[in-house]
Amino acid sequence: MAEICCGVVSETEANPACKPTSRAARRRRMEIRRFKFVNGGGGGETASGRKRRKLLGASESSFSDEEKRVGGLGDGRLERKAASVSDDSLSLIRVTMMTTALSRTQSSPAALELPNEYPKFGVSSVCGRRREMEDMVAVHPSFSRRRGEPTTELHYFGVYDGHGCSHVAVRCRERMHELIKEELAVVNAEEGSAPTDWRAAMERSFRKMDKEAIAWNEGVAAVHKRCRCELQSPECEAVGSTAVVAIVSPDKIIVANCGDSRAVLSRKGKAIPLSSDHKPDRPDELNRIQEAGGRVIYWDGPRVLGVLAMSRAIGDNYLKPYVSCDPEVTVVERTADDDCLILASDGLWDVVSNDTACRVARMCLSGRIHAPPRKNGAAEPAPAGMGVGERSDGPCSDASLLLTKLALARHSTDNVSVVVVDLRRSC
Amino acid sequence: MDSQSTATATATAMQDRFGCCFRNWMAQQHRDLDELLRAVSTDSGDAEKLKCLAGKNIQHFRDYLEARSQLAQHDAPSFFCPSWRTSFENSFLWIGGCRPTMAIRLVYSISGSDLEARLAGGGTGGDDNSNSSSINLGEVSASQLRSINELHIKTVRMEEKLSSRMASMQEEIADDPLALIAKWSGRAGEESESVERVMKGHELSLARVLTEADELRLETLRELVEGILTPLQAVELLVEMTKLHLSIHEWGKRRDSVLGKV
Repeated sequence: MAEICCGVVSETEANPACKPTSRAARRRRMEIRRFKFVNGGGGGETASGRKRRKLLGASESSFSDEEKRVGGLGDGRLERKAASVSDDSLSLIRVTMMTTALSRTQSSPAALELPNEYPKFGVSSVCGRRREMEDMVAVHPSFSRRRGEPTTELHYFGVYDGHGCSHVAVRCRERMHELIKEELAVVNAEEGSAPTDWRAAMERSFRKMDKEAIAWNEGVAAVHKRCRCELQSPECEAVGSTAVVAIVSPDKIIVANCGDSRAVLSRKGKAIPLSSDHKPDRPDELNRIQEAGGRVIYWDGPRVLGVLAMSRAIGDNYLKPYVSCDPEVTVVERTADDDCLILASDGLWDVVSNDTACRVARMCLSGRIHAPPRKNGAAEPAPAGMGVGERSDGPCSDASLLLTKLALARHSTDNVSVVVVDLRRSC
Repeated sequence: MDSQSTATATATAMQDRFGCCFRNWMAQQHRDLDELLRAVSTDSGDAEKLKCLAGKNIQHFRDYLEARSQLAQHDAPSFFCPSWRTSFENSFLWIGGCRPTMAIRLVYSISGSDLEARLAGGGTGGDDNSNSSSINLGEVSASQLRSINELHIKTVRMEEKLSSRMASMQEEIADDPLALIAKWSGRAGEESESVERVMKGHELSLARVLTEADELRLETLRELVEGILTPLQAVELLVEMTKLHLSIHEWGKRRDSVLGKV
C-alpha cells in the first residue's frame, strides 16, 4: 500500500546475493508449473487474495494434522511459567496481571522502571472468506531475556501467512521464536552486555528458520501422508510463509519482516510502519530479483517468475534465490507517545490502511469504542476452550477483534490475523 | 405399452410430489420470513421468544430435509438438477442444495455492515450499547467469532469430504460395471436388467450422499443459530438467509422467463 514509508526502516539492507544454482533446471520446472496453472483451474479457488496461483489442481480430500489442529479448539492459553500463548485458530487474549506489583511513574524515561511488566495484547485470527486456514500467530510473553543493566524481558509476537499449504507457517509458529531465543542466548554469551546486533541476530534466525522449513518440506512427503500438498509431492517445496516478528522490550521494538505481512506502530495517533512489504514490484526488490537472474511477471499482479506475489518468504525453495528469506529489520526506541503495535497479515492490510487500523486501535485503547460484551443479556454459551487469563473485554482484544471484523466487513478475501500490543506506559 | 404408460404416470406423479415438497418449503419460508420480520421489529428484546422462533425455523428446515430425504430414496438424481428450481439456482447447487459454509459466509458478509458507520463516528460512546436497540450481527463478540471460525474450518473439512466422495461417484460412471456394459452392448443404450440394477445402485449412493449433505447443512445452521449466535442475531441471520433463498428463486424465475424457458 502506498502509505508504506521506507524511511522509517532504520536498519535495512538488501540481502547479499545468493548464488543461482541450476537456474535452467529451475526455469524448466517453472514452465511446467505454469502449464499447470492453466490447466489446473479445477480447484475453483478464485479469491483475489491468493498469494499463489492455484498449484494444486486435484481435489483435496484430507487436511494435514496441522490443519486439524488449526481447526481444533483455538484456545489461547497463557501459561505464565512457559510464558507461551500459542494461538491456533482464533483467540483473543489479554494479559492483565503483573502490572500491579510495580508502581509506575509515567514520566520516567521508560522501560527500566518496569522490567517485569507483561504487555497487554489481543489476538484475533480467522479463516474468513478463504477455505484454507494458512495464517498462524505466535505470542510468547517473556520468551527471552537480554542480559544487560538490568536484565530485561523480551516479548515475542509473530504473524505468519502461509501460502501453498499451511505447513511452513505452522513450522514458523512452532520454531521461529525458539530459533531467535537460541540466537539471543549465543549473542548474550558472546557479547555480554554489549548492545545486541539485532539485524544480524534476526537474519541468522530467519535463515535457520528457512533451512528448517525447507528441510521439513523435503521430509514432508514421507512423514505427513495426509498433508494436502502431499498429493503432489513435488509441490511441497512450493510452500512458504511470510513472517513478521516483533520483539518488544521495555525500551525498544524490534521488527523483522519477510514477506507482505506488516507491523505498524501507532504513535500519538500517527501510523508508523515498522516494516515495508516485500512486493516484487518494489523497486529495490525488483532490482534484487533481476540481479539474481529472476524475473517479475505480471500475472494477476506482479509475481516472482509469475508465481509468487511477494519477493521474500520463508520456504519456497524452488524460487530461491529470487525469493529471499532475509528479513528487513527495524529497531525503534519506545517513547511515551506510543499507543500500540499492530501486526497483521495482508488479509487486514489489503482492505484497511495503516492509518485506519491505528485509529481503530486507538479508539479501543481509549475506550471510545467497545467490542460487544461477552454477555449481552441473552445467554451466550461460553465456548469451550476459553483459557484462563483470556478476557474478551480487554481493549487490545477489542482492537484485534474490531480490526478483524472491519477486514471481513470490507470483504477481505484472505485469512485475517491481527495482533495488537498495548505500548502505553500509563495503563 | 400399457405398463410403460403406467410407469410414465408414476414418474409424473413422483415429479409432482417432489415439486410439491419444494413449493411447500418455499411457502413455509415465506410465512417464516413474515414471522421473523415481525419478531425483529416487535419482540427484539424478548430473547426467549426469539429463541423459540429460531428453533421453530430450524425445525421447519429439518422437516423439509426429512421429507425430501424420503423422496430421494425413490429418485435421488432428480434432486441434483431439480426441474422445480430455476437453472440459475441449479447451476450453483452443491449436492442438491447450498453449501453448508454459505451460512457462515452470510454471517461474514452481513456482519459489520454498520461497523464503518460506527468507526466513522469516532466510536459512539456509552459504556453499554443501549444506544442501539438491537445487537445485530455486527456485534459478534470475540468468543462468537472464534466459535464461528472453528465451525467454519470444521464445516469446510466436512464439505471437502463429501465433495471428494461425490467426485469418486462421478468418476465411477466411467468404471467397471457401466463402462464395460456399454462397451460390450450391441448398440448404444441397450437395455438390460444388470444396467437397471447398477443404475439403481448409483442412485442409492446419490441418495446417501444427499442425505449426508443435508445433515451437514442442517447441523451447520443449527450450530450457528442455537449454539453460537444470540437469539436476536440468530433471527437476523435466518431473516437474511430466507430472504436470500427466496430472492434467488424469484430472480432465477425471472431470468428463465426472459430466456423463454418458462
